[in-house]
Amino acid sequence: MLTYEPDETLAHRLDPRSKLAVQIGFAATALAHPTPRALLALSVVTVVVLTAARVSIRRTVVAYRYALVVLAIAPVLAGVTIGTPWFDRADALTSGLASYRVLLILLVSAAYVRSTPVRDSRAAIQRTIPGKPGQLLGIGIALVFRFLPVLQGDLRTIREAMAARLGTERGTIDRISTVSMLGLTRAFDRADRLSLALRARCFAWNPTLPQLAFSRVDYPVLAVALCLVLSALY
Amino acid sequence: MATERNSVELVDDDAVRSFARAAVLAALMGAAAVVGSIPIPFSPVPISLGVLVVYLMGLYLGPYWGTVSIGLYLTAGAIGIPVFANGTAGVGVLLGQTGGYLVAYPLAVLLIGAVVHGTDDLADPADTSTPVLVAVLLAALIVIYGLGTAWFAYVLELGAVEALQLAVVPFVPGDLLKIVAAIAIVKAGRIDPT
Repeated sequence: MLTYEPDETLAHRLDPRSKLAVQIGFAATALAHPTPRALLALSVVTVVVLTAARVSIRRTVVAYRYALVVLAIAPVLAGVTIGTPWFDRADALTSGLASYRVLLILLVSAAYVRSTPVRDSRAAIQRTIPGKPGQLLGIGIALVFRFLPVLQGDLRTIREAMAARLGTERGTIDRISTVSMLGLTRAFDRADRLSLALRARCFAWNPTLPQLAFSRVDYPVLAVALCLVLSALY
Repeated sequence: MATERNSVELVDDDAVRSFARAAVLAALMGAAAVVGSIPIPFSPVPISLGVLVVYLMGLYLGPYWGTVSIGLYLTAGAIGIPVFANGTAGVGVLLGQTGGYLVAYPLAVLLIGAVVHGTDDLADPADTSTPVLVAVLLAALIVIYGLGTAWFAYVLELGAVEALQLAVVPFVPGDLLKIVAAIAIVKAGRIDPT
């Protein structure tokens, strides 16, 4: 699974805000220019980004395998036509280039995922979005991160318990609604206990955040992000 | 180092409870994307419970907190928590071929929440009549399919029919079953939304 890994690479030292800016700039220009020349240049950028974050291509491809299957099918489907010539090469090529740019966007975002701990992203969000919405988003993300494995465990337990009682022999709708109802009931129980705990600990709108500052290496990266955004316009 | 020097401003009790539910449901959505898939007859694609949780957010959290919840889910995925389909994450997924479906979720939640609860306090969704529930859930599904497929076709440079073949047709049976399941959950009346 693709997730944060502690390391000492250049990407790990960067501020999450400059990394987010690069991703957005990259995606903007990739979506604006699906031409072979632009994609060649963007492939070079992708290789640089992946090297800077020391991303394992193999693991990234495995993580995104389902998305990549769709990306591989799309050009074939675009090319197939009913009647002669049966396969339209120009259509397939256009769609193939479009699929390739999506692959590049996915790879660049993998670099962010590998090099940024959730805590840093949270701080970046809370500093970028002012006031209560930023606070809610920041705390909410921390809670999602904390509860994700717990609720995965809950769902797994429910499904194993159903299977042990021959629940797998029941109708599909029955199975879906049972799993979801039990999952939701457990989730709400957990949420109510969580809210009690939050209130007991004086849950406030203005807690103290970890320190976040641009270092010298962030400025060139931000400049690159800006260039990428501007290149989308030309 | 920047520290807050203001006095502590506590969050209201009602808001804490709704917020906790919104956050936990966002995590449930992420958990369902990895654990939840159930094989269905006559379809090569197993159904994940993801969209069902979108319906439940609208039905049980209402328009306001439901939208907060789905917003948390999308942001959590964007910054690298593995909550998107099959445990993926990253801004790339939001901007990639299936991003349109994800971005349509908040609109779907808002629509369901607004119809079932109105703009005031939370109501019990079990009190809403079945035809209304069917209509609003179908409308939400159409919003998701519409926006999602439009983006899918744009990003991959496909025609409308090709995009529908690849991104909608295989999922229709599962998504319709999920609407039936959502209504069964609501009508069972075992979950208290308030």
